[in-house]
Amino acid sequence: MTPPGNVLSRPRAARGGVRTGRRLGSWGTRVLGRGLGARRSRTGMLLVTPAVAMVGLFVLFPLGFAVYISLTDWPLIGPYHFIGGQNYSLLVHDPQFIHSVLFTLLYTAIVTGPILLVGYGMAVLVRSGRFGSVFFRTAFFLPFIVGLATESFMALLELQPDSGAADYVLSKIGLAHANTAWTVDYGLALTAICVFVIWFASGLTMMLLMAGMQGIPVELYEAAEVDGASWWQKEWRVTLPLLRRNIALALIISVIGSFLAFNQFYILTEGGPGTSTQPVVMWIYEEAFVQYHLGYATAGAITLVVVIGIISAVQFFLLRDSDSGRSRGDRRPVRRPVRRPVRGTRR
Amino acid sequence: MKLSARQTLTGAAAVMLLSAAACSSSGSTPSSAGSAGSSSFGVNATGTVQFWARTVSKTLAQKLVSEFNATHKNLQVKLTLTSINDDVTSLATSIRAGNPPDVVGLNDIDTPTFTRENAFMNLTPYIDKLPFKSDLSPGHMGLATYNGQEYGVPYWADLSVLWYNKTLFKEAGLNPDNPPTTYAQILSDAQAINKLGHGVSGFTFAGDCQGCLGFTVQPGIWADGSYLTSGGIGSQTASITNNQPLVQALTLYRQIWTQHLVPDNDRTDSGATWGEDFAAGKIGIMPGGYGQVVDLVKPSQLGTEFMDTQLPGSNGGYSTFDGGDDFVIPTAAKNASGAWEFIQWVLQTQQQVQYPALGATPIRTDVLTPTFSATNPEDAVALKALAKGYAPVTLVYDQMFNQASGPWFQMFSTAVYDGNMSLAVQQGQSGLTRLLQQAS
Repeated sequence: MTPPGNVLSRPRAARGGVRTGRRLGSWGTRVLGRGLGARRSRTGMLLVTPAVAMVGLFVLFPLGFAVYISLTDWPLIGPYHFIGGQNYSLLVHDPQFIHSVLFTLLYTAIVTGPILLVGYGMAVLVRSGRFGSVFFRTAFFLPFIVGLATESFMALLELQPDSGAADYVLSKIGLAHANTAWTVDYGLALTAICVFVIWFASGLTMMLLMAGMQGIPVELYEAAEVDGASWWQKEWRVTLPLLRRNIALALIISVIGSFLAFNQFYILTEGGPGTSTQPVVMWIYEEAFVQYHLGYATAGAITLVVVIGIISAVQFFLLRDSDSGRSRGDRRPVRRPVRRPVRGTRR
Repeated sequence: MKLSARQTLTGAAAVMLLSAAACSSSGSTPSSAGSAGSSSFGVNATGTVQFWARTVSKTLAQKLVSEFNATHKNLQVKLTLTSINDDVTSLATSIRAGNPPDVVGLNDIDTPTFTRENAFMNLTPYIDKLPFKSDLSPGHMGLATYNGQEYGVPYWADLSVLWYNKTLFKEAGLNPDNPPTTYAQILSDAQAINKLGHGVSGFTFAGDCQGCLGFTVQPGIWADGSYLTSGGIGSQTASITNNQPLVQALTLYRQIWTQHLVPDNDRTDSGATWGEDFAAGKIGIMPGGYGQVVDLVKPSQLGTEFMDTQLPGSNGGYSTFDGGDDFVIPTAAKNASGAWEFIQWVLQTQQQVQYPALGATPIRTDVLTPTFSATNPEDAVALKALAKGYAPVTLVYDQMFNQASGPWFQMFSTAVYDGNMSLAVQQGQSGLTRLLQQAS
């Protein structure tokens, strides 16, 4: 097929041509563009193939296999049978599973807010370059670095009645009896674990928020000060809006972490007294590795994955930036604060 | 459609083009002779034997393997230590993959879970040929027996005894050579020692450790001739209601608790610090394991400061929890002949008498000779109890006795800490019945 007209004589070809330096007509441009685009697509595909293969091998396949196991009565050893959705229908009628889900929700509701507030407060304290801020950043972040399992064992010793530091200190200031048994009473155990986890996890939130705070241009605060803004107004009108994404990230990490809570409960209370402090991951563990109901436990795990996915999606939606929902074709200019090189941390 | 897990795993592996890796050798080298059923089975085997032992028997296993390898040039044992928390799932996974070890030191209470699935080799004809068969630990053998066939032999014993502090007995005016042999004596001796004051308590127990309590409280009930379950696997029932020995055992602990004869932090002891106060010389009497205290105190303190006696029943008699491990050979073991040769070697007297020094109790009652008693007086106490030892044969032991949410601990807590015996018995009967019905 002959191309229409003299493609080389069309001035538009130069404007619309691809970056070949040659003057091409629109048809030629389209053909050449399609060829190059296809080649780029193939190159892109080749480059991402190893990553896709790894994700498929180590994420999608195990996930799919787990879904399959959840549709069977998979035991520890021996033959199994395909039972369809029976495990899932049993789950919704299992009072212990429902209790563990509700307990996990309660635990998440209790700790999420304080972790954010304490983390924010600590970030405010250490975001400047004042003397000692590096020390406090390290000190606040240290619990997260040491690790939850190690610290849970330490807490177990310090919560012992008559010999632990918790009872000693609290009895000295009149807040508890010297023989308070924290880990064998539902209310006391939940209180102790929540306080412990807030202490543990706030450091990570602090780091996430501090990084965001240090990225805010100092000129914005200077402008606010010129307008007569108070410290609270600067935090409320400047810092918080610009930290929206950091706060969203911190909240999502915190909520997912709370839904996956296991170590602290396993070490400190073993889910007791009875099963009153048994979070959903411990329920899964007990079903799988104590009761050896692997199919049923996997159904619980898949349900948890779905629930976490939904909650994370809802969080992403609620905490999204107001401009992040724009379509890709929307070319209207976006009004963003000017981000100039930061001349140093403010104040 | 009925599929085996192994078939599915193999198919999945093929889809992933990993079947070659999945089917790779475990490292066992098959014996050149001695297939199962032949007269040469377990005799002059060659190659390598893969031996999985729990970390709790690390010292014993390492010593045995080292000595065996030094004396058997043509048959070498390769030891792999498995975590006590996931040894069962590790073994099940290896069996599913068709690549199990040749011999396993398996927690004896977990053995029934595997034997009913024919996962282990039937060792009955070989055990029958052992001249000391009748001397093997009855509790271990009971757990390894299914439908009249024996699928394992004892490896080592972890037995519960009653430890006491001879120094505190003397200080309290008690005769250290006359330890308690009834519940009443336990209570009165604990009361006398508790009066010493200065941080000394008469008694101790791990009050939030379900397994520890099952290990130490049940033998008193067995000594009185009673058991918490009855019947064989598949038709077991709970025997809690009207179980007077059980009520007497719980009553003893209730009295000890309400009279403050134990440290306050016993209530929250999940086992992590169990026995440390006894080893520190602050406790008069402690039910516990033989190896547990041996690991906590200096050798010079054994017999001089600390001594043990059998766990008594309410009015005399004694028993012990027949814990520890069984030797089992998975059905798909590549060198079963070599594994059986190694097992036979371990069961010999020459190896058995080394157990006390390695923190374990032998599993042959005929090892208890005057010489053994003179050399190992504390382990001799445990070994004497072995003949009267017992361990519940059930598929749901962990669920019943080792869980914070299990019926055993719920019953113990209600009776001892809350003081409501009738409710405790109801909870125990209904909880055990529910689990036994699920398992049948």
